[in-house]
Amino acid sequence: MHYGSRTTVGFAEQRIDAVEKSTGNVKYLGDKSFQGMLHAKVATSTEAHARIKSIDTSEAWKVQGVRAIVTGKTFPFPIGPILADRPPIAFDKVRYYGEPIAVIVADHPYQAKQAAGKIVAEYEPLPIVNSVEQAFQKDAPLIHEQSGQYTKLIDNVYPVPGTNIASHVKIRKGEFGKAWAVCKDTISATYSFNLSDHAAMETRTATVEINSDGRVIVHSTSQSPFTIKKIFNQFFNLDVGKVIVHIPMLGGAFGGKGAVQLEPLAYLASNAVGGKLVKLQFEREEDMMTAPCHIGFNATVKLGVNEEGKLIAGQYTFLIEAGAYSDQAAGITRAAALDCTGPYHIPNVWCDSYCMYTNHPYATSFRGYGHPELTFAIERTIDQFADKLQMDPIEFRLLNVIKPGQTTPTQSILTPNNIGDAAKCMTRAKELIGWDGKQPIVSENGLVRAKGVALFWKTSTTSTNAQAGAILKFEADGTVTLTSAAVELGQGTKTILAQIAAERLKMNVSDIHVTMEVNTQYTPHQWRTVASSTTFLAGNAVLAAADDAIRQLKRIGAVALQCSEEDLDVGNGRVYIKAKPDIGINIETVALGYKYPNGHTVGGQVIGIGVHVQRHLTPMDKETGFGDPGPWWSVGAQAVEIEWDESNYHYKIVKAVTVLDGGTIINPMTAAQQMRGGIFLGLSIARGESFEFNEQGVIQNPDLRTYQLMRFGEQPDEYIVEFVETPAEDGPFGARGIGEYGVIGAAAALANGLSLATNVELTQLPLTPELIWRTRRAAYDPV
Amino acid sequence: MIPFNFDYFKPETLEEALKIYSSEWKLGKKVIYLSGGTEVITFARGGKMTFDSVIDLKGIPECTMLEMQGDDLVIGAAVTLNRLVESNHFPLLSKTVRTIADHTSRNKITIGGNLMSKLGYREGILPFLITDAIAVVYGPAGTEAMPVDNLAAAELAEGQFLTQVKVAASNLDLPFVSMKRTRSSKVGYPIVSLAALRKEGRIRIAFSGIHEHPFRSAVVEGILNDETIEDQQRIDKAIAKLPTNVTDDFIASKDFRKFVLNKLLTEMNAVWEGSR
Repeated sequence: MHYGSRTTVGFAEQRIDAVEKSTGNVKYLGDKSFQGMLHAKVATSTEAHARIKSIDTSEAWKVQGVRAIVTGKTFPFPIGPILADRPPIAFDKVRYYGEPIAVIVADHPYQAKQAAGKIVAEYEPLPIVNSVEQAFQKDAPLIHEQSGQYTKLIDNVYPVPGTNIASHVKIRKGEFGKAWAVCKDTISATYSFNLSDHAAMETRTATVEINSDGRVIVHSTSQSPFTIKKIFNQFFNLDVGKVIVHIPMLGGAFGGKGAVQLEPLAYLASNAVGGKLVKLQFEREEDMMTAPCHIGFNATVKLGVNEEGKLIAGQYTFLIEAGAYSDQAAGITRAAALDCTGPYHIPNVWCDSYCMYTNHPYATSFRGYGHPELTFAIERTIDQFADKLQMDPIEFRLLNVIKPGQTTPTQSILTPNNIGDAAKCMTRAKELIGWDGKQPIVSENGLVRAKGVALFWKTSTTSTNAQAGAILKFEADGTVTLTSAAVELGQGTKTILAQIAAERLKMNVSDIHVTMEVNTQYTPHQWRTVASSTTFLAGNAVLAAADDAIRQLKRIGAVALQCSEEDLDVGNGRVYIKAKPDIGINIETVALGYKYPNGHTVGGQVIGIGVHVQRHLTPMDKETGFGDPGPWWSVGAQAVEIEWDESNYHYKIVKAVTVLDGGTIINPMTAAQQMRGGIFLGLSIARGESFEFNEQGVIQNPDLRTYQLMRFGEQPDEYIVEFVETPAEDGPFGARGIGEYGVIGAAAALANGLSLATNVELTQLPLTPELIWRTRRAAYDPV
Repeated sequence: MIPFNFDYFKPETLEEALKIYSSEWKLGKKVIYLSGGTEVITFARGGKMTFDSVIDLKGIPECTMLEMQGDDLVIGAAVTLNRLVESNHFPLLSKTVRTIADHTSRNKITIGGNLMSKLGYREGILPFLITDAIAVVYGPAGTEAMPVDNLAAAELAEGQFLTQVKVAASNLDLPFVSMKRTRSSKVGYPIVSLAALRKEGRIRIAFSGIHEHPFRSAVVEGILNDETIEDQQRIDKAIAKLPTNVTDDFIASKDFRKFVLNKLLTEMNAVWEGSR
């Protein structure tokens, strides 16, 4: 791979937080204690759907140390990021088991928790909507009677009053009906899985303090510092400037910390005790049952081909399970619609994507934002269709793969700049997995080896004005402090930004000091740290800031060197004359202004500022979906080899391959590791993670004793990651986003491999031995 | 976090432990004995258990010993699972308890805590059930020895606690099989867990996961030892004689548990065949 004369971009620099983390010195928010701090705890609903008749707090007040008890009556208004449908504390009715019904503030955490256990609520139970399929039925009990009256905070959310549909997003491209009628062959299949958990290592925590001068100080484990400010402004009527949000380094997020849940609760709690600092820290079980989770999904996919085997028509019906409140599921409903086809060129597309309320915990963004889910449905269908058409599944994919010049479901035009090379990714993944046709290999001892592949894409559906800013502040020694609101959540973003700054300033990456904490008082605005958007948005902002700094360095340098700015260049810690590089000055002599021998000084501190905002994005048309909702599509292919034991139905994941085209890779080591983390997450969700609900809508596995994550040692033996680097003209050094992508094809590739090995079509997650056993029994041994 | 206050005692003798229990109990307090504490902490955190006083047994020499005494291996109730695995006095026990929870948890979980668990799995008891092990308990009536079977389905009397389990040396090194299947990850509660050994030509076998308690059944064993019928027939017949209420929950359905058990018994037979 060639990086020209680059010195740090494209190189495996050590993460700047490596030492602090590996020595255990990082302090998460939950580890921190503040003088005089009080502690909050939520009391939660013991019904999945019920009218609240009364809440008796008298016994809870008797617990020593209790300072305040806040119920839904204190703030009986719904809030939300897209559709304001969720009261921070339930009032009138509860819509999921585990929903906050009161917040107790006490001197010590155990006192608050003890008091929470003594809150007595009287309920009038209502019929429970216990699945997304049930929610969609015409006579289903209504979870939100007033959904038509909820405030919409962004475009493209369309609740259907009188139903459990929180939003209905449509794609109408070409003429699906006509095309379907002339298809040579068609296929239809349905897929489903339940809600699940993010299971970040660090559980969610927030602290809030209201100063006597009205400033609200928030510390939070959030991916969305500026959204917290916005929500506090919109719903608590606080001046944006008076809300100050601090975000320390996070212990994993996976989208789950993009939602704003704890901060309003902690604000109401602090408000109830005269503004004292209140900490609300979720324990693991609360993080699983009360905090927002990963969507559930039901999809029906219909595909049709012409005589050449080219896809000409596709119909997609998605039921996105939002749970009790729409939160980001409303946005996921839209994101799934606009990329509904997967990376295939299909001229006639009909998609109905529904955001569905159920009486389950509510869902928010999860790494991939609807794409791992839709990819599972699409890629399983592609495999089944290839089988039906008697084509090799990889050849079938390559025949239909989308290319520049073609259009997406929303009719965005693809160019060599805005989409990676999906065919190249697929071809390379095929080589790396050792694809030998769709042929399982049965060994003598009854072990069946099979391979499965998945092709995927995703765009980042940021808001159309999503942006990031960066500040590069030169220190007296000529080094640089980089400040931005990109949240470090384990993805390594601070290292990437340092590399981008160092490359443009031609400095050593070790001379870039990155501010780890985000403090909205001095960090420039950034949309959020989600949607694989930070390298692109914040990276471009850093480049703009670097260019700004370079201009300033040249301006002061020109005075010092008695030449014009145009004569100068900046690099290796110096400002020097391009034509005579040996004539120059060290940056440290101009970083705080240039001082003449007589003491007179010109210039002043060099502070580079830069902002980058999305260009030419548009909302989607309500009836057709027409629009330009995303800046670029990163594409990739994944492949998994499994070994299935036909005697006991257990299987082992032997090998996993990821080939991604994310444009230029800034740091190949952190990028490869991010892909491995992604596929691990995707395989873990696919293999064992799923909330299991009983008939009362209660999660049966709300702790890590029973919720089965993939453990260390259960990962594939071989874990291959490669990159195809088709540069993006407008990305920093040609980079597109990659953060979420490792997860997207994992479930689909695993399910494809297992379906091949077991000779049945697996259409549900998680892929447990029992699911395989049931599916095979239904197929071969109907009783 | 445990949301209530309680008194913690760490006695150094059996007598002292019982004395504390009695005096606390007489004050109307709810008293529990504790060893590793993993389950007590989880249950107390989750609101499934409350207590006023905790008596930690880890300071009592009888409860922490692990040694051969005459013809018996004596295992203190407060010996951790990892210590059992590493010392490996009883290979079947080592293999069985290795599959309980994860390594970090096994640094804390004790064999006594596992045997007295409120959850129905208690896989640590399986090797004891098939070696006719003796449970030694201490309580108001002094020291009492009883077959370990007594612990499988019943609770101890008020104030009693398990101090030791004794296994005859002659039973420690018999040919054995220990097998476990979970829902997906290696770490997890069993769909079926079984421990079996052969003594004097007969199979002895005990199960966890398929019933609310771990059990050893004379009827099932009788069938599995009936050489007059074919292997698979024997297995089918044994499964037909399982307790009627086979566990049916989100970890595994009743039918799948029976299927898994069937496969494990077949695998077990193959292992015995291979070792002949």
